[in-house]
Amino acid sequence: MSLLHATWLFPPEGSGGRLLLWADTWRVASPISPADTAAEHPFSLGVDDLAEWLDDHDLWSEDLRPAAATLTLPSRQQAAKGRRSSATGPWSGLPMQAGEPIPKQLDWWPWQVEGLALKSAAAGAWLSRLPLSGDQLDLADDLRWWSHLQRWALSLIARGRYLPLVEEGRARWLPLLNREDDRRRLEELSSRLPQVATCAMAEGGPGEALLACRRPGSGRLRVASFLEALVDGQLRAGFKPEAQELDPLLQAWQRALGPGDGQLGLDEEETERLEVATHHWRETVAGRVAAARACLELAAPAESEELWGLGFSLQAEADPSLKLSAAEVWALGDRDIHLGEIAVPQPGQLLLEGLGRALTVFEPLERGLDSATPEAMQLTPAEAFVLVRTAAAQLRDVGVGVLLPPSLSGGLASRLGLAITAELPTKSRGFTLGESLDWSWELMIGGVTLTLRDLERLQAKRSPLVQHKGAWIELRPSDLRNAERFCAADPGLSLDDALRLTAADGDTLMRLPVHQFNAGPRLQAVLEQYHQQKAPDPLPAPPGFAGQLRPYQERGLGWLAFLHRFDQGACLADDMGLGKTIQLLAFLQHLKAEEELKRPVLLVAPTSVLTNWKREAHGFTPDLQVREHYGPRRPATEVALKKALKDVDLVLTSYGLLQRDSELLETIDWQGVVIDEAQAIKNPSAKQSMAARDLGRPGKSGRFRIALTGTPVENRVSELWALMDFLNPRVLGDEPFFRQRYRLPIERYGDMASLRDLKSRVGPFILRRLKTDKSIISDLPEKVELREWVGLAPEQKKLYNKTVEESLDAIARSPLGKKHGQVLALLTKLKQICNHPALALKEGAEAAISTGGASAAGDNTSGTFASRSAKVQRLEEILEEVIEAGDRALLFTQFAEWGHLLKAHLERKWRAEVPFLHGGSSKTERQAMVDRFQDDPRGPQLFLLSLKAGGVGLNLTRASHVFHIDRWWNPAVENQATDRAYRIGQTNRVLVHKFITSGSVEERIDRMIQEKSRLAADIVGSGEDWLGGLDMGQLKDLVALSEEDAA
Amino acid sequence: MTLSTPSSITTQLGQQGLGEQPWWVEQWMELINSYRYKKRLERAWEYARSGNVLSIRFEGRRVHARVQGTEKEPYKVKLWLDVLSDEDWAYVLEALTQKARWSAQLLAGVMPQDIERAFAASGKRLFPFKLQEVRSECSCPDKANPCKHVSAVFYLMGDRFSEDPFVLFQLRGRTRGQLLSELAKRRRKALAKQARVRAAANGGSPAQAAAGLLPVHPAITDPSRWWRYDAALDPDLVVITPALEGDTGLDAAGPLPLAEEPRCPGANRLFLDQLKLQGQQMASLAMAAAMDHGSAEPAPTS
Repeated sequence: MSLLHATWLFPPEGSGGRLLLWADTWRVASPISPADTAAEHPFSLGVDDLAEWLDDHDLWSEDLRPAAATLTLPSRQQAAKGRRSSATGPWSGLPMQAGEPIPKQLDWWPWQVEGLALKSAAAGAWLSRLPLSGDQLDLADDLRWWSHLQRWALSLIARGRYLPLVEEGRARWLPLLNREDDRRRLEELSSRLPQVATCAMAEGGPGEALLACRRPGSGRLRVASFLEALVDGQLRAGFKPEAQELDPLLQAWQRALGPGDGQLGLDEEETERLEVATHHWRETVAGRVAAARACLELAAPAESEELWGLGFSLQAEADPSLKLSAAEVWALGDRDIHLGEIAVPQPGQLLLEGLGRALTVFEPLERGLDSATPEAMQLTPAEAFVLVRTAAAQLRDVGVGVLLPPSLSGGLASRLGLAITAELPTKSRGFTLGESLDWSWELMIGGVTLTLRDLERLQAKRSPLVQHKGAWIELRPSDLRNAERFCAADPGLSLDDALRLTAADGDTLMRLPVHQFNAGPRLQAVLEQYHQQKAPDPLPAPPGFAGQLRPYQERGLGWLAFLHRFDQGACLADDMGLGKTIQLLAFLQHLKAEEELKRPVLLVAPTSVLTNWKREAHGFTPDLQVREHYGPRRPATEVALKKALKDVDLVLTSYGLLQRDSELLETIDWQGVVIDEAQAIKNPSAKQSMAARDLGRPGKSGRFRIALTGTPVENRVSELWALMDFLNPRVLGDEPFFRQRYRLPIERYGDMASLRDLKSRVGPFILRRLKTDKSIISDLPEKVELREWVGLAPEQKKLYNKTVEESLDAIARSPLGKKHGQVLALLTKLKQICNHPALALKEGAEAAISTGGASAAGDNTSGTFASRSAKVQRLEEILEEVIEAGDRALLFTQFAEWGHLLKAHLERKWRAEVPFLHGGSSKTERQAMVDRFQDDPRGPQLFLLSLKAGGVGLNLTRASHVFHIDRWWNPAVENQATDRAYRIGQTNRVLVHKFITSGSVEERIDRMIQEKSRLAADIVGSGEDWLGGLDMGQLKDLVALSEEDAA
Repeated sequence: MTLSTPSSITTQLGQQGLGEQPWWVEQWMELINSYRYKKRLERAWEYARSGNVLSIRFEGRRVHARVQGTEKEPYKVKLWLDVLSDEDWAYVLEALTQKARWSAQLLAGVMPQDIERAFAASGKRLFPFKLQEVRSECSCPDKANPCKHVSAVFYLMGDRFSEDPFVLFQLRGRTRGQLLSELAKRRRKALAKQARVRAAANGGSPAQAAAGLLPVHPAITDPSRWWRYDAALDPDLVVITPALEGDTGLDAAGPLPLAEEPRCPGANRLFLDQLKLQGQQMASLAMAAAMDHGSAEPAPTS
């Protein structure tokens, strides 16, 4: 897979430049030893391929022009072929690619790449098309950096933060970066600048194409120059030089500010006049970009003093905590300094210039600058107030730092608010949200508490800055009013309030911000569990549960029970393989054991996993009466259903039926509704989503709601609303509100503040643990085996029964010598049917998959192909999670034809390459596939292998999932295949998924292997000879679909 | 014919009411208006206003101008002030270093209002006190000095001062660059001396030693920084907002300090209005582009 990068091409001198788009891709390359010019980048995409790639990704622009550049890239030394030692010969090696593990020894070398370049105006428009957030598989991180820079450029244009100037003989638009937030942004984007964005040698400059490297830059000036180019390019493109009746000088300037290269066409003298005048014009607004700034530090008056202190210092832009007092700056004389790691040339000059600028907005400063080396001055209380209230912001905007005492430094803490102390009443166990707490409160401002009387007394002083308990605070007229109103109302505090107030900073109670919340020990315990600051109290496996819970599963069970107590819906979103099914079953058994399970619970799941649920419930919770509401024989009337559900604890049904039978299902008084693979309800307007949410609405008798999913729901903003509407409808409000408040800001612009707020709201209701969590990993064995039970699709079922029937007849009639072969053929065919009818019917890949695609609508490209096989459906669901998580998987099959079919299907579905290693692959092909899977940072996530060709000898430790799509008689062969991933070098837990079609020959084989029966020993020992010895009855038992599943 | 009297003549800035004119321009106009021959001034103003002054050029310590008179070839006008001697400048610089504010303002591009006090140390002035101190020469046959050509140039000089207030320093013998670097040199000397005194008093070395080596860039020690960028979009850039009323860079910069061509009165203002109007349009486009982000593809630029 190719990865797109963007690098700025500087002109040989002056400002401006172009944005070069280039891509690297994975291919086999031998180490290169550059001669006297930079070598060609062996992994970069050619211009034609790049153009096609951009077109495929909707990123083509008519403004793109071919370009080449020499980039300085980290490179890995590697001995050239045929050479033994690299120590003596010339350097040889390869450039590194993004995401490759960094070796200990690293060199930097120039490499030539070709690509497509955009001029600055077009670059801005093009960058505006890139996503602002989220991981894009084929767009490198540096593109996101560029898209953020462009967004900033748009913001500067929208806010009019620029001036037209004449500089270096050209008319140009210069962004003004004097404002506090813009300067902070410059520091942030500079400190995070991915070097690849700026690693090109100047175009046509000395060193281009030679063996010269570009030094990684401190960034600030470079980033400012990129920004200047983007802003200039876009303003220039949009500006229309239309004004008439200007004098010739302005006329020329106006024209040069429009589209073009900014040449004025004036004589030298006139140009200089414009340069001087506009320089002077700009200087009064904004200084130059520098590493440090002047800083004014306000100090409260000492005890019984009246005057405030104002100290001068120099402060690093990148890290305002790095300061050097004016006294120290003067003491330095003419030497440059370093503030931390930041070099600051001419500190004295910088400090003076900043003070001069400060003087333009804060006049009292004039008094303080009378001496030659001023260090500090004093302010009257009135002046100090002006500084706190208005001048501080203005000073920051002209590029001067201001430090205020903490209690005055603005923000919420310096507003009048509350300090609350609360505890659960002694009788209460904290089980209901509405219950009132025992509580008391105090008024608080700037970190100190005060009474209403204190407040009145301070207000009477009529001074805006007052001292209380040693801290200086700023009182506002509204403060006393708010406090009085609060005291008069004397509100109560419920557990619900407490949960809300402790969820996020800045929540208010009757308009007063809560600065402090002191919970008593018992309340604290409830709050911590609720906010998941502490792992939930574990609950051991309930009596009657046939199985063991791992420690984290006990905590999961405890958490489900905890939220159940509060009548809150819960979403268990553990990583795949951690046992969500088991935890849910344990929870139901827990209710049963506590005699709380009085009415049936409805569990909705995709059809493909219903079988799995039935098997698991049967195995782990034999006490639970489980019933499927599925198939043509399901009860069709209320009476029949009620009768059927007598004494039933758990009812399983599919999303399809949930929708079709919704009216019928509504008639039952469910105790709870569980939705498995809860992403199925993500689309709020889809019928099955509405049906699920309707069913989850607690009626009079209350109904618990649990959702299970293996996907990182909290990161999928668009899917959260429907889920929360099912679980706890009040939490996220109605859909239009949700869309405006959260979805648009987060999805379009990656707004972290909204995301944080959203997460804090939904956090209490979602428990997600990952296999990689420290607390989990110790509980997990290194290899986790999962049985994936699947059923048969109708076509499969029909074909299976027909094949069994016809073959058994034929076998019964055939002579003994041929019987063995026929039995084998039958078993093979049945296994193929379990995989997919197309495989058994020998339909070609083209036919099977394209018919699927043609009849399917929209994004559901897998359409009919997947719908014909329950196994493929289930496989897709699991792979979806694997791919989402960025994991890698090996898929083993014993049928080469199946591999080809599946490869075509998976590649189509995920629009990504899926290599297939089989008996027909050549040795070099095999090595290339393995290398790519193991080493390419953006290599394929799925790797198909035939069991025989791929089962031995390979090292594929990058995979953390192994799928056995069909079963082999011999577990040793399967284990060998599994060990491709699970072997030395594997750092993750490996999940082994074994697919078993229930009721079919696959299940029989599995059971035999499991039970280690005599037959199994035979199987393992002697291959397939025993098959010939089976009598017809035994054979029928082995292959026929069991009654239950045949229904 | 009604002609504005010289006393009512103001600069472009005053006419537009965009703000007070800088004090040095005001001072210059006062100087001109102190001239005794009012009639000649009126004619000069008329000359200036009708665009007879073809060019004004600051070249070193002199002002060169070309004024179209009655003859075909424009007359050449030269203006200059008495240059301060190096010794005088030494006094001025010494005085300037005494007060941090002067250096601070000069560095920030502001002409200190009490700058004459620093010049008083040398017994000289920055601004000419009387018009007679402004030396002039004109190639016209008129015997009177200043002739109307020179006077016309006088009028326009005020505005030219606002393009670059430091041009006055230049006329007195020091460019702004020279002045600032000499000031820095003096300050460093004084500070170094002070530092030595202090160090001797403390018996130790000064606060911080200058590091000689370039610090290693973090991307060298952590090469993954070549590619890595994992920050989310700045929350303040999520929604892109327009400027508050009167809060753009153009508003902050104020009137253009460019002497106006007398034949095109109001051109500066017209130009600025045009910039502001189009700035608003471009701001709307930028906000629309930002709003559309991720939802549609903007059309490619031509």
